[in-house]
Amino acid sequence: MTPRIQILPDHVANQIAAGEVVERPASVVKELVENALDAGASRIDVSLRNGGKTEIRVADDGCGMDREDALLALDRHATSKIRQAEDLARISSLGFRGEALPSIAAVSRFSLETASEDGVGTGVRVAGGRLQAADEIARRRGTTVTAAGLFGNVPARAKFLRSAAAETRAASEAVILLALCNLQVGFSLRSNDRELLSLGPATLRQRIGQIWGEEEASSLIDLDGPDGELGVTGLIQRPDEARTGRRRFTFANARPFVDRGLGRLVDEAYRTTVVPGLRPDYFLFLNLPAESMDVNVHPAKTEIRFRDRERVERMLVEAVRRRLARISSTPPLDRAPEPAAVVRPTAPAEAPRAAAAAGDGAPALVREGSTPDQFALFMTEAGGDEEPSEAGEIEPLAAQLRPELWQLHDSYILAATRRGLLIIDQHSAHERVLFEETMRRFRESGGEAQRLLFPLTLKLSPSEYSAAEELAQMLGRVGFEIEPFGDRTVIVRSSPNPHEHFDAERCFRDMIHELADGSPLVDAARNQHERIAKSLACKGAIKAGQSLSQDEMADLFDRLFATELPGHDVHGRPTIVRLTLEELARRFGRT
Amino acid sequence: MKLSITREKLQKGLGAVSATIPARTTLPVLSNILLRADGDSVQLCGTDLDISVQVTIDAEVETAGAVTVPAKKFSEITRELEDAPVHLTADQDQIRIECGRSKFKLYGLPEGEFPTFPEVDFSESWKMSAEALQELISHTSFAASTEESRPILNGVLWQLRPESTTMVATNGHRLALMTKDLHEAGAPEADLIVPPKALGQVERLFDGEEQLEIARSANHLAFRSERRAVFTRLIEGPYPNFDQVIPKDNDKQVVANRAGLESAIRRMAVVASDQTHRVRLLFEPGAVKFRVQTPDLGEAEDELAVDYDGESLEIGFNANYLLEVMRYMSDDDVKLSFKAPERAATLEPAEGDSDYLCLVMPLRLLD
Repeated sequence: MTPRIQILPDHVANQIAAGEVVERPASVVKELVENALDAGASRIDVSLRNGGKTEIRVADDGCGMDREDALLALDRHATSKIRQAEDLARISSLGFRGEALPSIAAVSRFSLETASEDGVGTGVRVAGGRLQAADEIARRRGTTVTAAGLFGNVPARAKFLRSAAAETRAASEAVILLALCNLQVGFSLRSNDRELLSLGPATLRQRIGQIWGEEEASSLIDLDGPDGELGVTGLIQRPDEARTGRRRFTFANARPFVDRGLGRLVDEAYRTTVVPGLRPDYFLFLNLPAESMDVNVHPAKTEIRFRDRERVERMLVEAVRRRLARISSTPPLDRAPEPAAVVRPTAPAEAPRAAAAAGDGAPALVREGSTPDQFALFMTEAGGDEEPSEAGEIEPLAAQLRPELWQLHDSYILAATRRGLLIIDQHSAHERVLFEETMRRFRESGGEAQRLLFPLTLKLSPSEYSAAEELAQMLGRVGFEIEPFGDRTVIVRSSPNPHEHFDAERCFRDMIHELADGSPLVDAARNQHERIAKSLACKGAIKAGQSLSQDEMADLFDRLFATELPGHDVHGRPTIVRLTLEELARRFGRT
Repeated sequence: MKLSITREKLQKGLGAVSATIPARTTLPVLSNILLRADGDSVQLCGTDLDISVQVTIDAEVETAGAVTVPAKKFSEITRELEDAPVHLTADQDQIRIECGRSKFKLYGLPEGEFPTFPEVDFSESWKMSAEALQELISHTSFAASTEESRPILNGVLWQLRPESTTMVATNGHRLALMTKDLHEAGAPEADLIVPPKALGQVERLFDGEEQLEIARSANHLAFRSERRAVFTRLIEGPYPNFDQVIPKDNDKQVVANRAGLESAIRRMAVVASDQTHRVRLLFEPGAVKFRVQTPDLGEAEDELAVDYDGESLEIGFNANYLLEVMRYMSDDDVKLSFKAPERAATLEPAEGDSDYLCLVMPLRLLD
């Protein structure tokens, strides 16, 4: 009788291990591109057939391997990237487990062509995990790996592959992810001989423009992180451009990772600057000492564990928050012309244009392509990372006196500045001021409530009445002293008095209605304090249509710019729109 | 219409009426003054539909008639004319103005487009000296609300009783009330709510020594002297019961020098919050201590010797409200009465028969 438990033959073990690393064509692409990057490639070309199900080919101009290494590379846990267990604590290369190549080779018809110098190289062919041939070939420096008939020998896995279009999309996402964190490397992606991506070396902003277009690129602002070991850099989206937040990427030491918790924190940092329900895109690069994080959590390496997560979170939130405080959410009316229009001097006909076909690939990714030469031109002429949205900065006001103010249609305050004109929405501006003042009242003691000569006696709905009873103490802290009087009636004995035109009864009624029955605004609040502050800000702020005296405008202006986030009201709408002198000049044809 | 008039009289008349002419209006005829010549006088009328003013001046009328003239240009022309008789001739909607060798023609609008003045029957009227009425107005109407949510409080309550009359105004945070004897009632009791702007016209238009007749229709109130009249729309609705909220049991009383108190509060107000104008008053036997603390701005303290022998008590106030009500206190000393930090405080002149009283609601201090 044969023993019940047997050691599996290597090729079977490899097939099982492959399941962890290689799930679908996209994971093959990811592993191979990572290898190419670790080999120091300056250019990586990926081509797919039938979504990679028929063939995946990844070619690079990296350091290549000699014959001995090429054969060894196909053994599991053979790696050039770490030597001993201690190295695991400070991994700086993308791959290190030594699993990728044998895993891929185990589930495909695999070939590897590599050379460490131009001239003679090595060609290896493997089928179903068994070495078929190892020959001398002529080739340039670099490595080309081809995996054909993926999962041909693992029907169970092959069944779970999705349509060619879906697999192509997944593969291009994998390439994009790596392209975003390897800006000095050129990438191309072809599917069935159609070019989907052609990316030259670029800055982050340029690369985003190459991938998703200038509109996306110009919706982003630089997150200038602090210098030093612990920091965060990258691009975040202007709050008013926030939509679905589909493009959210986090990298730790140029290694992409997925962390929903950090995404929630970024949303948190944007709180009250974006309309509830909308989410900003971001491209965040955490720069951390290698030993402060653990990337060896999962074979697919999409998760990272931080030694001091709290610190990382704080750093991230602070960086985003600090940056948002400096911008007015709305770009100036003269959004800078797309750099591409200026710096692409070659005749358009020469630029290879990849056609988008609906049924195949990832149409959203198909962009106007360019050769590397063109990109070199782009770099010099564009003058590097010029940020078009930087014009949206609010000028630091400490340096200047309060400008002259006018009121327009009893709704907007116009202020002349050195560089043009600020248009301030008086209601939005006062919302921001009231919100922050009310939150401060909750945090610190102090404040006052105006006692009313004629207390308000208000009949409420059942839900409003119970909300009033429940929140009485907190409402008292913002100035509404209320006494439940029974029979769904409350007596309001004092009220806040945030401005001359404040209507205490209407504000209280609107607030208690909103607090009792909810609204998108207050439902997005973190806690009761924030609910009340948001509601008071929204209902109690100076309304549009209210004529303001010069003093009132000046007071509002000063208080707005003393807030933490002057650019947004509590709904996330902008408070300020800028009209620059350049824009005016342009409109008058004086460019 | 054809008439002659002295430049001085014309200019004075136009000045009296022009103040009611709205600066901007959607109804063009409201920018005009109505001239109506008859007998030996000419009537000048202006209105913004809420308030109307009518002035009668002597003139040599050759032909009776009426015309409307653009108020602003007519006033400017009159101001620039030399001091000589002015001859006005209306030809349909045009008016010719001649004075010495200066000649003007202005295009007016037909008289028929001018709104008709409210009809008020003066057979039942109250009679009062302009001086007394103006004193009531100046001491109270400043306290009316400017916030538009409670239109009632935008008005001044005027109570006419057989023996006395009272004016009250409040914005719900502070209140001013003045009562005067009334000897010639002449009409039934009434509670009228009058727009402060109309009362402002009454203050401005009539000379102190004039005797006024006041009468009402259903919706309007009219004030008239021999040659001048003001008409105004009344605000409808019940005025809140102010008598009920005036504290009768304020047992703590401070008598302070009005000028000293006012200047101390004025100093404190400099450092008070622009939003709440909060100052704290700590009443102690013999003195009141003032204190202001405003986050991000600074602090201030002051002290004033006063006549007080009650227990120590600290109350917060809106400095502006205190300053406003003290402005009209006529005596050297002012009497402040209060009971508790969250209850209404009252101020009145320390001497005299106390026909004037102001009330200020405190700010509750939340710390």
